[in-house]
Amino acid sequence: MRDLIVLFQKEWRENTRNFKILWIPLVFIFFGLSEPLTSYYLPQILEAVGNIPEEAMFAFPEFTAAQVLMATMGQYQFIGMLVLILGFMGTISRERKNGTGTLLYVRPISYLSYFLGKWKVVGIIALGSVWLGLLTSWYYTTQLFGYVPANDFFAFAGTYSVWILFVVSVVLAMSAWLPTGGAAGISLALVLFVQIVDSLLGMYWTVSPWKLSTYATQWLTGSPDTSDFWWSMGVTFLAIVALIAFGVWMSKRNSSKTKV
Amino acid sequence: MSAILEATQLTKVYGTERVVNEINFVLEEGTSTALIGPNGAGKTTTLSMLTGLLDPTEGSIALNGEQGADVRQHIGFLPQYPQFFSWLTALEFTEMAAKLSGMDSRSAKLEAQKTLEFVGLGEALKKKTGTFSGGMKQRLGLAQAIVHKPKLLLLDEPVSALDPVGRREIMNLLKSLQQNMTILYSTHILNDAEEMTDQLLFLRKGHLVEQGSLGDVRSKYDSPRYRVEFANEQDALTFAALAPWKVSNKGTFGFIDMNNELPEMKDVLGYLAGSGLNVRKAERQTASLEEIFMKVAGQA
Repeated sequence: MRDLIVLFQKEWRENTRNFKILWIPLVFIFFGLSEPLTSYYLPQILEAVGNIPEEAMFAFPEFTAAQVLMATMGQYQFIGMLVLILGFMGTISRERKNGTGTLLYVRPISYLSYFLGKWKVVGIIALGSVWLGLLTSWYYTTQLFGYVPANDFFAFAGTYSVWILFVVSVVLAMSAWLPTGGAAGISLALVLFVQIVDSLLGMYWTVSPWKLSTYATQWLTGSPDTSDFWWSMGVTFLAIVALIAFGVWMSKRNSSKTKV
Repeated sequence: MSAILEATQLTKVYGTERVVNEINFVLEEGTSTALIGPNGAGKTTTLSMLTGLLDPTEGSIALNGEQGADVRQHIGFLPQYPQFFSWLTALEFTEMAAKLSGMDSRSAKLEAQKTLEFVGLGEALKKKTGTFSGGMKQRLGLAQAIVHKPKLLLLDEPVSALDPVGRREIMNLLKSLQQNMTILYSTHILNDAEEMTDQLLFLRKGHLVEQGSLGDVRSKYDSPRYRVEFANEQDALTFAALAPWKVSNKGTFGFIDMNNELPEMKDVLGYLAGSGLNVRKAERQTASLEEIFMKVAGQA
């Protein structure tokens, strides 16, 4: 337990000093802010920069508040995921490669603490960033497009948070398993490519971690099918636990590959 | 003295290559052992198995007589090129190392500070490790290895990357640690090994080809001889021609090389005194560790 605290502090310090604790939330806040603003001011933006003839007529769609929040999440599902994957892909593999892990692995630490220390810090940064971004988006959406009930928003953001924890677990488990490049490639495939596959072929199944973002948005427009939603939540929690167990095992197994 | 570590039939196989092959050795408490051998002999692999970083393919390591114990509880390790988190200060890193080795926060901070001062980094406690020179990194590496007062200190080429001044300073630090810790270190700087070695382990192509005290190994491989230096080359030639022993000469030196039949020094001095030759110096020479290294490394 003591080693978990020390390793958590070390990770926290690292992410503070390399400013990830600052720039990752700023990216999410930026997209949380820009989505409602650009949706609201789209006609003026086009008028100002589009060089459009005066006689041109456009029918701009009327966005609902729920649609704006969904669009924010859409940004997170691509750019946000890229930021999380690229930001944390080397969390474990880089320590092996550059040899900084050696002086940790020769101490009587448990690999569960080693992995969990990282998982907690990355989880806090990722969830903190997403929540700050979504709260920003919620505030501006409410100001510009109308009120989204708090219950709906928290159900939406809460569901999406479980997906974020799944993504964090994937990235760290891959980083424990593979070199940094491989960890990035497999994480991108698992998070982004499978998401695309799910959106194309997902009508054939209703329970999977990749469905959580869809179920999250359904809280804004009504509510998801309760049974499918809870099954997906359960499967995702199990997948997170399995990924953590895999990450712990791979961290220990690959510790011998650290540069000595 | 009791054995602190016993390696039995220790073997590491990668693919079909036996990088370390059935080696056996014992480290007695309070001793200093040099693990020497040419590049690729298996020194780092052996140390990696002892630190727990690598699992042996075969064989076992017993610590204080206990087989399969978590060696990490009792060791301090300095890799050849220690790497630190560049964003941590020396004090933060050493303190973290102490805590991860089981010390409570208060003692960890106190010991970290004391240890850094001991290794000569008292002025750089709050400097980020990313700004450290090679010598400072080696000192910090030593500090993190000893901050928790391990019973066994494992060092992989602790001085090979340093300049002569840095090497001397680190060797002096290691010598001062000898009284309190059992030390096993790999090296190819043989002059340094000669200074602080109770036992030699000589690895070649994964095999432990020689082991024992420096004296034992030296007597096995030593080719004792007398070296007499004359004032001029002619005297050396005369000595080579007329002395009652088998003598060779080179320049102004005469050498009496007789492995098992070396005469007594008093006889040599007596002969020289009565010879009328102009002698500058006469001495008995023993093989240096480097000469022994070359002999063992050259074995078929």
